[in-house]
Amino acid sequence: MTDCQDVLTALLLGEADTTALVHVRTCARCRAEEAAMHALAAQLAADTGPTPPPSLAPRVLAAAAPLLARNARRAAWRTTWPAVARALAAALLPLPAILVFDVALVRAIYALLGAVLPHGLSLYLVVNHAALLVLLLSLTYGAVPVLAARQARLLLQDGHHHG
Amino acid sequence: MASDEELIGRVGVGDQDALAELCRRYEKPLFHFLARHTGGRDVEDLYQETWLRAVRAAPRFDPSRRFSTWMFQIAVNLCRDWHRRPPPEPVEADPNLASTSAAPEARIDARRILTALPEAQRTVLLLRHYHGLSEEETAEILGCPRGTVKSRLHAARERLGQLMGSA
Repeated sequence: MTDCQDVLTALLLGEADTTALVHVRTCARCRAEEAAMHALAAQLAADTGPTPPPSLAPRVLAAAAPLLARNARRAAWRTTWPAVARALAAALLPLPAILVFDVALVRAIYALLGAVLPHGLSLYLVVNHAALLVLLLSLTYGAVPVLAARQARLLLQDGHHHG
Repeated sequence: MASDEELIGRVGVGDQDALAELCRRYEKPLFHFLARHTGGRDVEDLYQETWLRAVRAAPRFDPSRRFSTWMFQIAVNLCRDWHRRPPPEPVEADPNLASTSAAPEARIDARRILTALPEAQRTVLLLRHYHGLSEEETAEILGCPRGTVKSRLHAARERLGQLMGSA
């Protein structure tokens, strides 16, 4: 059985199929409301909607520009982070050996200096040397992700230009 | 020609041309939806905010979804928030929003009877009648079962019938 509610709504939306139209012919209630539904549909259809002002699209694009730039930055990061991760992993691999070597070197220097210089002065020189080594290591490892990201971006741009 | 879904994907990586093309395609449908939903108030602000939210969410857009459904979902949520605000004054037709309708009185009547509907019923009627979305798509936009869409549409039709009868 066809539901009158569905039929009347279909008439309003202009979606009435053959079954619905057959139902309207046989149902007194739907037949009585058919004209009103058509009038209502015509009334709604008469409103074709307001015209958007011409300034609206440029305004939206201008307002969206910073968000688009942020999307571009995030997309670039999503593309470059695997390269950065690989570079960091490669750089961290020899770090334990470097640290062991540096500690041994600092100890040797301290032992050597301790033999010829007063204890306090030896300690001062060795601490300075160790601090310098720590600074150089920090700078080196800090530069790895920056340089890797830069190189990945350049490779990506190069690929786009050739692609 | 690129599909809407491809274009929003490009917006997600910062492509301004893709956004301009989407704005061109959806300018009228979105503007009309918002104008009819709010009775012509704050339409330009809501229109801009819909696009800004779409651009912000573009990187997370699920390509298996339809862009139009997704965008109308954003617009409907914005309209819901807008309707929760206290109304500044009674609804009047905005003379700045020129329509291409041949009969201005019909336009005003249609807008008046639409604004007389409860917000939930109006949303369903607008999406189904003016934007030709299916029951399923409307249910997806509103995040409700198809039966709810159907019952809201029936209620809207009955209310409109009453309004037309009393006009």
